[in-house]
Amino acid sequence: MKQKTYKIKVFRFDPQIHTKHEFETYHVPKKSVKTMMDALLYIRDHFDSTLAFRSSCLQGRCGSCIMHINGKYSLACETAIRNGQNIVRPMAQLEIIKDLMVDMDPFWAKYELIKPYLVRHSGDSAQTYANRKEMDAMVDCILCGACYSACMMTGMNPEFHGPAAYVVLNRFLKDERDSIHDQRMELIKGENGVFRCHSMYNCNHACPKNVKPSENILEIKKNIC
Amino acid sequence: MKNYDLIIVGAGMTGLRAAIEAVKHDLNVAVISKVHPMRSHSVVASGGLNAALPKKLNSDSTDQHYIDTMECGYNASEHDALNIFVEEAPKKIKELERWGCLFSREKDSSIAVRKMGVSTYPRTIYSSDKTGHALMSTLYEQCVRLRQNKPDKLRFYNEWFVQKLLVSNKTVAGVIAWDIATGNMEVFSAKAVIWATGGSGRIYASSSSSLGSSGWALSVPMHAGVALRDMEYIQFHPTQLSGSHILISEAARGEGGYLLNLKKERFLSTYKDTKDNLELSPRDAISRNIMREILAGRGFDASCVHLDLRHLGSRKIKKQLPGIRELCKTYAGLDPIRQKIPVTPGQHYTIGGIATNEKAETNIEGFFAAGECACNGIHGSNRMGGNSLMETLVFGDIAAKSAVKHIKHRYQKLPNKQFYENFLEDENNKVRKILALNKNPEEKKETTVIQRSIAIIKSRSHQKNNDENKIRVVDIREKMQATMDEHVGIYRDGMGLVEAAQIIKGLKNDFEHNLIVDGKDSRANYGLIEAFELKGSLDIADVIIQAASKRKESIGVHFRNDFPVFKGRPKYSLIVLRKNRLRLRYFPVKTKINPLKTLFGESNLLKP
Repeated sequence: MKQKTYKIKVFRFDPQIHTKHEFETYHVPKKSVKTMMDALLYIRDHFDSTLAFRSSCLQGRCGSCIMHINGKYSLACETAIRNGQNIVRPMAQLEIIKDLMVDMDPFWAKYELIKPYLVRHSGDSAQTYANRKEMDAMVDCILCGACYSACMMTGMNPEFHGPAAYVVLNRFLKDERDSIHDQRMELIKGENGVFRCHSMYNCNHACPKNVKPSENILEIKKNIC
Repeated sequence: MKNYDLIIVGAGMTGLRAAIEAVKHDLNVAVISKVHPMRSHSVVASGGLNAALPKKLNSDSTDQHYIDTMECGYNASEHDALNIFVEEAPKKIKELERWGCLFSREKDSSIAVRKMGVSTYPRTIYSSDKTGHALMSTLYEQCVRLRQNKPDKLRFYNEWFVQKLLVSNKTVAGVIAWDIATGNMEVFSAKAVIWATGGSGRIYASSSSSLGSSGWALSVPMHAGVALRDMEYIQFHPTQLSGSHILISEAARGEGGYLLNLKKERFLSTYKDTKDNLELSPRDAISRNIMREILAGRGFDASCVHLDLRHLGSRKIKKQLPGIRELCKTYAGLDPIRQKIPVTPGQHYTIGGIATNEKAETNIEGFFAAGECACNGIHGSNRMGGNSLMETLVFGDIAAKSAVKHIKHRYQKLPNKQFYENFLEDENNKVRKILALNKNPEEKKETTVIQRSIAIIKSRSHQKNNDENKIRVVDIREKMQATMDEHVGIYRDGMGLVEAAQIIKGLKNDFEHNLIVDGKDSRANYGLIEAFELKGSLDIADVIIQAASKRKESIGVHFRNDFPVFKGRPKYSLIVLRKNRLRLRYFPVKTKINPLKTLFGESNLLKP
């Protein structure tokens, strides 16, 4: 007989109550849902409204709903559910607030560490066409944090900035209008800086927007040498 | 209690732009937002923003921008606000350019522009079709910079849910909000408050808005006595991806896309109001005509028409519309380079909102509003594509300037501590009341952690609650959304609006008496937030229905089947909640162009 529901195992954990996490299985009718986000919203609507997860734009542009789905970091709103069993877990390397909701503050703190803003040379010179074109690959980064969780080094070394921060950094290093190039390089030279990256390419694999953080990190490394 | 000079509610483009301006004046500023700023709905915006920049090949001017906007809004735009808007727009582009925004560029390195609906010249500045993301990145970067330079002046409260606006003696006193993660409720006192919370799209099922645009953020000030303007004006975007209600930006038509019906005709040429500009006609006219085609049986699957981009060629689509291609691939499994996109009209923008003047002031002292949640009348009765992003920047800035002026010159002493504590107690009780509906008497006695844990596991029942009288948030929400789409959509009529009003009344009753919400506390309880937001949605749905049924004429996005003609001078509606009753009055719009001469002639006379 054809299966009429999707089977979804969802990670449940409330650090204030439980000492250990558990997986709870839900059966979501196939006709009501397409993406994993639909399914999670269906669970919240119909089964248990205490299931905690973030969601906002529902079209893969805001990055709220990044989580670990069937073995890969993905945006739930653009991930199709598969037949058979689906497993949803929260992001790694970040503290769990509740269920699939993690504390993103360390991620944002590291983003801010690399001075993610343009400090201009004097004058208001416009960016050239060629310079803008170099950045086409980086503008797609929506700062969802998938690469951060996938990265082994952020897990082992809390001081390491993480791939997303370096993508943003590379965008500013490339910007011809920026005046604090040297200062930025100084920030990432140290022991916990860009050379902490061992080029494991987990970030490339995880990125839902195909930004290729590894390539950006390699460029920065070349820049230093 | 936390004390600030200025509180900004909402951290989309309006909120961040206001924060940047306010921090310059050495105020203590707090930005409270339901989501992290980079997750707000502003990042989804794709088309671009309008500013009349002098270019080599055309003689665009702010006057022409003014005239285009006025014509698109059926001459119902406020002169003063619109005048400031078009004059400020180019300055805002210059400012973004200085902050390093990654606009798309021409080969000669000047900022690229594209043509959107109704504009005489190409004047929409963009960053491929991810403009919102580029702009939000730039604004957030600047906020980070300001925060690093002045750490104690700017504070972000991300993922805090604002529950009440405090007003004392017709003057703003602060807000009450709670941390979504911890459920901890706090009072924020403020000398001025800027409201920048965006739209209320999710009242409709066909909405392209983020989940957070629920209407709650408009109902909060409404309950504090703030007047709402033109709430009947809900813009329907002509092209949403059929089925998933994801927006296919106007950029697709701006770049040259065609709309085709079942007979493969560009059907817009057969209608009076769209025959001149075809796909670049105003949004309201295209939406109405698509619906007419579908109703006449010339749509696909009786629900959509096709948007054809194939003739643009693979290179142009990849370069100018990569985001649209991505969306089509993910959500419809098709590639616009080779296939046509099924599209259908859907709710897109809340033109109405908190009534403000051109200085972003409202009827409450010290309370300012800007962006989609506000309505200063620049859009008239139909918004032009590309004006909303610019509006957030221009009026976000102006709101901050007005707030600074208010704090420095007009601000009076804040109420005493007792005033705040009373309200905090009230709001805490509201949370308890919603959660208590789910509580069994014997569970109240639990004390140990293990007992609590067992109770929570028990409460996670996989089956629907068997209690027949109890209703979940989703039941009410889906009924409300379907009602709004059916009766308060593109076409409206008296009978339907009466019916809708009755349904909403019934749903409000259900909400008060039969709603159940899971969970025992407010810690990371999104179900609880959804319940609050639903209440806001119902309140605002009610306002929209009232406003739509009282306006017995058709203008712009408001089309009444029973009153298809527009007569006389444009007027705007103002709704205030007083003693639990909505009171509506009309005032004439201060416009400068002769309102009787409309660009699209007698198009409103056509019946579906």
